[in-house]
Amino acid sequence: MPETVLQVDDLKTYFFTEAGVVRAVDGVSFSLTKGKPLGLVGESGSGKTVTALSVLGVVPRPGKIVSGKILFEGENLLEKTENEMRGFRGKRIGYVSQDPNSSLDPLFTVGNQLSEVVTTHEKMSKEAAREKVVDLLRLVRIAEPETRMRAYPHELSGGMRQRIAIARALASEPDLLIADEPTTNLDVTIQAQVLELLRALQRELDMSLILITHDMGIIAEMAEEVVVLYAGRVAEVARTAEIFAAPRHPYTAALLQAVPRVDRKRPLVPIGGNIPNLITPPSGCRFHPRCAYMIDRCVSEIPPLEAIGGGREVSCHRWKELELRGSS
Amino acid sequence: MEGAGIEGVVLMPATLLEVKDLVKYFPVYERGILIKKKVGDVHAVDGVSFDVAKGETMGLVGESGCGKTTAGKAILDLIPKDSGQVLFEGKDVHETFEHGSNEDRKAMRRGMQMVFQNPYGSLDPRMTVFDIISEAFIIHRHVPKSEWKERVYTLLKLVGLEEYHAERYPHEFSGGQRQRISIARALATEPKFIVADEPVSSLDVSVRAQILTLLQSLQQRETISFLYISHDLSSVRQISQRVIVMYLGKIMEYADVDRIFDHPLNPYTVALLSAVPVPDLERKVNKILLAGDVPSPINPPPGCRFNPRCPYATDICKQAEPPLRQLESDHLVACHHAEKLM
Amino acid sequence: MNSKETQYTRRSAGQWAVAWRRFKKNKAGLAGLAIVASFAVLAIYGLLLDPVPARSFGCLYQGCTNLPPFVDSAHPLGTENSGIDVWNEIIHGSAGDLYVGIGATLISVVIGLLVGAAAGYRSGVSGAVLLGLTQIFFVLPVLVIILLFAKIFLFLVAQGLALSLIVLTLGIFGWPLFAFIARGEILRIRELEFVQAAKSLGASGSRTLFRHIVPNLLSPIIVLSSLAVAANIITEVVISFLGFGDPTTSTWGLIIQEGFDHIDSSWWVAFFPGIAVVICVLGFNLLGDGLSDALNPRLRE
Ligand SMILES: Nc1ncnc2c1ncn2[C@@H]1O[C@H](COP(=O)(O)OP(=O)(O)OP(=O)(O)O)[C@@H](O)[C@H]1O
Ligand SMILES: Nc1ncnc2c1ncn2[C@@H]1O[C@H](COP(=O)(O)OP(=O)(O)O)[C@@H](O)[C@H]1O
Ligand code: SF4
Ligand code: SF4
Ligand SMILES: [Mg+2]
Ligand SMILES: [Mg+2]
Repeated sequence: MPETVLQVDDLKTYFFTEAGVVRAVDGVSFSLTKGKPLGLVGESGSGKTVTALSVLGVVPRPGKIVSGKILFEGENLLEKTENEMRGFRGKRIGYVSQDPNSSLDPLFTVGNQLSEVVTTHEKMSKEAAREKVVDLLRLVRIAEPETRMRAYPHELSGGMRQRIAIARALASEPDLLIADEPTTNLDVTIQAQVLELLRALQRELDMSLILITHDMGIIAEMAEEVVVLYAGRVAEVARTAEIFAAPRHPYTAALLQAVPRVDRKRPLVPIGGNIPNLITPPSGCRFHPRCAYMIDRCVSEIPPLEAIGGGREVSCHRWKELELRGSS
Repeated sequence: MEGAGIEGVVLMPATLLEVKDLVKYFPVYERGILIKKKVGDVHAVDGVSFDVAKGETMGLVGESGCGKTTAGKAILDLIPKDSGQVLFEGKDVHETFEHGSNEDRKAMRRGMQMVFQNPYGSLDPRMTVFDIISEAFIIHRHVPKSEWKERVYTLLKLVGLEEYHAERYPHEFSGGQRQRISIARALATEPKFIVADEPVSSLDVSVRAQILTLLQSLQQRETISFLYISHDLSSVRQISQRVIVMYLGKIMEYADVDRIFDHPLNPYTVALLSAVPVPDLERKVNKILLAGDVPSPINPPPGCRFNPRCPYATDICKQAEPPLRQLESDHLVACHHAEKLM
Repeated sequence: MNSKETQYTRRSAGQWAVAWRRFKKNKAGLAGLAIVASFAVLAIYGLLLDPVPARSFGCLYQGCTNLPPFVDSAHPLGTENSGIDVWNEIIHGSAGDLYVGIGATLISVVIGLLVGAAAGYRSGVSGAVLLGLTQIFFVLPVLVIILLFAKIFLFLVAQGLALSLIVLTLGIFGWPLFAFIARGEILRIRELEFVQAAKSLGASGSRTLFRHIVPNLLSPIIVLSSLAVAANIITEVVISFLGFGDPTTSTWGLIIQEGFDHIDSSWWVAFFPGIAVVICVLGFNLLGDGLSDALNPRLRE
């Protein structure tokens, strides 16, 4: 029986802003099986970060988790007190944020910041903490850790800062690591290094991984299962191999056809229109204003997220009849 | 069309832009108590030569900070270059701006435009879209005032926006829409050449394709030449005819698009290409993981600038800078050991 | 395009309209605006409509000198021992103080913008010189110099021009801050890509400056002006209080100084104008804060 590490059930997280209620995450469900890296893919504003922050219980104001369930190793995190949450967040669930520049404090050395994290999780002597920090830096493949410890974040390159952020998330030996677009601001060659590091660490430390990205290429390389988000809802859930071979949701298919590929040139099929505004999202299926297969029912009726067998789920009224092209 | 000569004889496409040995350094200062002391130079662009034909899209790729934007801006003389020469339709660009007649200067500005990397900083927040686009008409007077409105609307349609957008301010648009406004502004002068600096990098994946197809259609329908700058190799492959790969201010490889993507001859290009994730599970390539980061452009490594990270590096790479050599027709490579990759 | 967008109104709000909409939501800023507007109304009333002239000793003859406040409805805030009505002085003083505050600020803004623009736009030797000048002005003990001026140009005082002298001096010594901010902003804006975009369109230097740079410079200058008015009013009070003011023109500083001599017997003479100063300065400060929120382009709706 595969072990379910995290199960998110009908999660709704809204932002109550002056302009109106932003339905950033509006009924998202997925689950993460141990040892199977999960990719959360979607465009900017699709709710990837907010989903991650909801799991960690750190939704910023004016946001609130409105309803849903988040089961982590069987316990519902939404019923925990703030105090109890501290035992999970940063401890059993590590987080690497989108922007390594803002997550590291510019006023302290890398060593300081890491040893602070190390000592909050476990009482230990200064010496022991130092050793642990050196180990962590080694773990994330930073050369000359003893010297690098004394560096301030601004003295390091973007790739190194992101590794420090990963080291910090790993300090407590979490069971689950959520990496939110860890390579978005990095160059491809550095991205390749960081992804390789994450892949290796996940295996070495026997840790579950949720990788958030907008890049289908990264999904192909890193994830075994994929959740495709669109405008705060799940469009499709599948194993990675299946989603590239035969996507079931028109948005997934359109996304695969709209991104250029480095290995060959092929006609691009752009998705028309823009990402909807989540204060007044489109009625029915949120993808309908941009969907090539839209019918009247799509405007009036929200398609449920249906299990279609083989562990796949899709939220489209027409999934049965549509023949969609994959990445080829 | 430009490519067709007299009596059906097809000539080689004419050269529109020629860049010869372009150099641009940025001085780096250390702040003393009273005076600033110069401590070195950022070698942003260090002897770059290439040409762009009429109606061609030239791709310029490289990692962040390798000098792509600097090259683009120096070509248009938006920032002063240190040395080298840029010829646009055979005329020296810098000379024209410094010493040419008013008409010549304006004509040259009209002919070359830029779409900037950052869709947020490149539109004046205090001007409406109409004012932004029609500024070209005010400056160049190539459109009678009575036609401004119509022309602005046509341009907006061309880039996929609507008439009513004309009265809006930039802050009311998404990044993708701003990038379209930026393109419409560049098109307003009816240019022959556009430097498009990472026009899709800050955009959402689904919107990228819209802008890329727009650029492609502009290149084909309006015969505009582009210098398409990007660090995203996939989009470069999609829309360029020829490609330049830059590393720390130098050209590493310069070739026809398919040649460079399918048979790269420079180890850096090979590594760069192998690092790009491909949305396809069937395609498994052996990744060449480059160690370390891009070195500081202030004191680039001697010899081949790529040698500290290059898996093929030998002693000569540390001593002599590899010249840009022609190995096949239309394929120039700067590497001592390029033959090993053939 | 998606159908949502066509529902928007055709003509959208301009930057200033947007700023005003945002300003209206800011309670403190609105309060500041109301306070400032009230003092402006008082000042205009005092200048144009008030039947009782400033510094009128009329009461002296009616025997109502040294009247405490809230006793006589003709003199709601009491009178001074020479019969000057405190409320009437506050009314006339608001004209004097707004003149000092706004007049001096205007002078500072004009000089500051010119100098700052020159320093920011021509960074080079002239830029360095101007910056040096700005920095020297910054560290000068401005108050002492103003007091010195006031003494030296005493003959102007006799002609009733002393208040204008104070305005001029405050204005002349107040510009460095504006120059400094203007220069910094110009250096920042000049590097923004829309300025390069204008250049690549072929825009001339002056077009770039006046069409692109200056409009983007105005917001911080407006905010700073509001704060500078408040600061100038306080300086006026200090100057008068130290006895270097203009004894012939009504200002709050003057009446406070006069009242201070008799603070034991008639506290109200200094107290109420003091309150007026506090409220007015608070008003300009709140207005400044409100403007700064409303005009900050980063806080988009
Ligand atoms: N105004 C400047 N002053 C000093 N250094 C500069 C300046 N502009 C650019 N540089 C430096 O020149 C080098 C090349 O910069 P450039 O902006 O051309 O890079 P790029 O290839 O466009 O990178 P990116 O992909 O990040 O846009 C970098 O090291 C950069 O830090
Ligand atoms: N602090 C906030 N206040 C208001 N809205 C927010 C806030 N944070 C995120 N949102 C909105 O929530 C939606 C999802 O955001 P996010 O999860 O960050 O997207 P992404 O998929 O790019 O990570 C967006 O529409 C965003 O504007
Ligand atoms: S439900 Fe309708 S609109 Fe939505 S994806 Fe399916 S076909 Fe398209
Ligand atoms: S010259 Fe040497 S170091 Fe440079 S790319 Fe070729 S093999 Fe590598
Ligand atoms: Mg995000
Ligand atoms: Mg750039």
